[in-house]
Amino acid sequence: MNRTDRHTVALIGNPNTGKSSLFNALTGARQKIANFPGVTVEAKLGVLKLEHTEIDLIDLPGTYSLAARSPDERVAIDGLLGRAKGMAKPDGVLIVVDASSLDRNLYLATQVLEFGLPTVLVLTMVDVATERGISIDMDKLSAALGAKVVAVNSPKGENLDILKQTLHQTLHHPAKPLELPYPEDFRRGVDTLYQQLCDIGIKLGYTPARPESLRLLVDASGPFLEECEEVAGPEFTRQLHEIRDKASGGRSLALIESTARYGQIGQWMLQAKRTQNREGRTLTDKIDAVLTHKLWGTLVFVLVMGLIFQSIYAWAGPLMDIIDSGFGALGDLVGSTLADGMLKSLIVDGIIAGVGGVLIFLPQILILFLFIALLEDIGYMSRAAFLMDRLMARFGLSGRSFIPLLSSFACNIPGVMGARVIEDRNTRLTTIFLAPFMSCSARLPVYTLFIAVFVPAQKVLGFIPLQGLVLFAMYWVGVLFAIPTALVLKRGILKSKVTPFLMEMPSYKMPRARNVLRVLWDRGGSFVKRAGTIILALSIVVWAAAYFPHSDEIEQKYDAQLEALQAKYEPAVVEFEPDFEAEPQNSLEKIAKAHADHEAAIAELEEEHAEDEEALKAAVLEAESALVKALDDLRSADFETASGQYEAWLEYTEAASAIENDRAGDHLENSYLGVMGKAIEPAVRPLGWDWRIGMAAIASFPAREVIVGTLGIIFHLGAEEDEESGTLRETISNDKSFSLATGLSIMVFFALCAQCAATLAVMRRETNSWKWPITSFVYMTSLAYVAALVTYQVAHALGG
Amino acid sequence: MTATTLAKLPVGASARVTDVKADPVLEQRLLEMGLIPGASVTLIRIAPLGDPMEFRVMGYSLSLRRNEAAAVAIEVLP
Ligand SMILES: Nc1nc2c(ncn2[C@@H]2O[C@H](COP(=O)(O)OP(=O)(O)OP(=O)(O)O)[C@@H](O)[C@H]2O)c(=O)[nH]1
Ligand SMILES: [Mg+2]
Repeated sequence: MNRTDRHTVALIGNPNTGKSSLFNALTGARQKIANFPGVTVEAKLGVLKLEHTEIDLIDLPGTYSLAARSPDERVAIDGLLGRAKGMAKPDGVLIVVDASSLDRNLYLATQVLEFGLPTVLVLTMVDVATERGISIDMDKLSAALGAKVVAVNSPKGENLDILKQTLHQTLHHPAKPLELPYPEDFRRGVDTLYQQLCDIGIKLGYTPARPESLRLLVDASGPFLEECEEVAGPEFTRQLHEIRDKASGGRSLALIESTARYGQIGQWMLQAKRTQNREGRTLTDKIDAVLTHKLWGTLVFVLVMGLIFQSIYAWAGPLMDIIDSGFGALGDLVGSTLADGMLKSLIVDGIIAGVGGVLIFLPQILILFLFIALLEDIGYMSRAAFLMDRLMARFGLSGRSFIPLLSSFACNIPGVMGARVIEDRNTRLTTIFLAPFMSCSARLPVYTLFIAVFVPAQKVLGFIPLQGLVLFAMYWVGVLFAIPTALVLKRGILKSKVTPFLMEMPSYKMPRARNVLRVLWDRGGSFVKRAGTIILALSIVVWAAAYFPHSDEIEQKYDAQLEALQAKYEPAVVEFEPDFEAEPQNSLEKIAKAHADHEAAIAELEEEHAEDEEALKAAVLEAESALVKALDDLRSADFETASGQYEAWLEYTEAASAIENDRAGDHLENSYLGVMGKAIEPAVRPLGWDWRIGMAAIASFPAREVIVGTLGIIFHLGAEEDEESGTLRETISNDKSFSLATGLSIMVFFALCAQCAATLAVMRRETNSWKWPITSFVYMTSLAYVAALVTYQVAHALGG
Repeated sequence: MTATTLAKLPVGASARVTDVKADPVLEQRLLEMGLIPGASVTLIRIAPLGDPMEFRVMGYSLSLRRNEAAAVAIEVLP
């Protein structure tokens, strides 16, 4: 086999043109794809293997121009120029162009073509263009641009092979830079500046490309300008102004550049594009007439939100029960195979209770992501931003803050990263600071757990389920606190002038099953992965802290109590272990079975007649007389003795399990976790929490959903289980230290706290300083504490 | 033909851009997005809360805040 060559090719284009779709189709990568501008905000590398050639493809964020202002655009330009960290300088470019708005897309293309890199122009959305009556003559376009043109449809996988071949050929031929007819003075300005730049290049440590001098000439600000001014000093700045003055001839340089480009594009389009005026409006127009309508638009918005919150309850329930009973069965299995002791406790009380307690919420998280993915794929996000921009402006935020904040409801991390699309630094910092206020999916387990326990499953106004309504309200808690925070930030330390909104509205698209499934798979996968790593590790730590020292003194104390108890009963009673599956052998077993059957029957009746008290009473009476009759039938010589033994056995097992409960409780209270918990209890008492909740909250610092697992562990360890011990939900509702007020206070705390190490780490990366994550953590934790305090005290006073 | 700015265009009406005057950053953005002198623009709708506005320019939909639209001088087409 021949030696393979390696190339680096950058994918560049306007936002939302299908770059990531193409990237995924060519490399098999799984970059996020969605129908709004600004999905990709980082450069991503993938490998495209061709015969004898390997190509490192770089997927870049979208940009409308090489005059970069926002951080995501800067990433795109750095990628093109080979200045992105860890990536080689591209020796070829794929310019991705949306055929349905060809003119504007070609603006960036003309800028990129001026670099003279081997280039293929990739037309996407040809289907959309055709539907709008636009047809493009690709040969004429190719001749005009001096670059090969290929039309693809990445979602359908069409023409990818032709593109690969074309790219392969193009990479082996030198290309020449596009020449545009700029006015003479302008052109001379670029030339003069380029000569200067070559000198400065030595100090910069790299040779600037010629088109960069054009950017330096035209752009009033930008990182490249700052860098040059820094290394070349004030003399350079003075000369730059002189060159600019000469080149402009009194006109605006940006105007000269854009009219030159659009003028050329207009001429090309006269030959290469035909538009047939179709009758009537496009589908997107018709949908928008409803979705952005004053009345209908608002109605649809409310309905969609309502639907999401209701389905989280209605659809998740059955799936959660399946997962729950799976873990229950697993616990029983391990419980019955392992001997009592540390290992069993680690697995049952630590791992299964901790990890299982969190994993059970997978269905709800998937449902939430399903809806968000659908909205993103259809193109609704930009409409929501359009509808809400006015409100955002009131709070001093840019409309561009809206989509990052909206995606924070799924997870705060992409929200923080999505803020890269915002040009203004202060607005971006505000948006990053606000993102953790949006209720992410990790809070969902906390909400649903406590809502299921404390909020009755009844309907308001006869049709709105109360539980869904309370969940909806929890989502508003964060928003309500975010608003004053935004106002304070924007009026105070992060003041800035109004930043441009300027947003392209994408056309509506049918959601693609593959995109949606990918989101679900990736999201579900990362949730499970978190459960298997960080949550598993934390569960073990929490379990160990709650299990040890497990002192012998305590063991001996309760062993002695148990022995003393056993001494009071005859061995037949102490050793009696009924097995209701087997056929009863002696009178004692028969009596025990009759009682057990009776209890099972009563439980069934209670379920059956849950609505009708009268019927229940009658049925219970009937069952009781059946029991009396069954016992009558058992009368035999040793019946009296056996009945006495049965009564004694009941008494004994109750007393014994009370001792075991005390033993477990005593161990927990004297464990490391218990001792620490007692120490911090005074601090959490005012929130209505006991030390167990306080410790669980502290342990969930790295990830919010850990609270659910931690509570599971603590409750498991704190009470010796009998066979029918229920789910965490039941345990909490039977626990006296939990009231509605406590539940509300926990929910409010978790709505507002910054308990997510991953988000804080991303904040530090995006802001390049520890100042923001630390401020955010301190601020949000204090806020959460005070709000939880007020919630508890008010709810408690009202009798909750 | 009347001279005014994009911010004052009635819904459904079309206009031709005559000039763009704003701070350098916004001005460049508007020009790059296709609002160059000579381009024709139609106002499609205004958001329910009165701002922003959605325009059709160069065959795509662009949403601008009212104060941004005010930077674009136009002559209304009949
Ligand atoms: N109809 C149609 N839709 C397409 C085509 N290619 C991509 N899409 C859709 O266009 C939308 C945007 O695709 P992305 O791949 O996320 O676009 P991008 O250029 O990476 O976007 P940014 O990362 O935001 O710059 C998605 O909804 C895709 O499914 C195409 O050829 N035809
Ligand atoms: Mg992308």
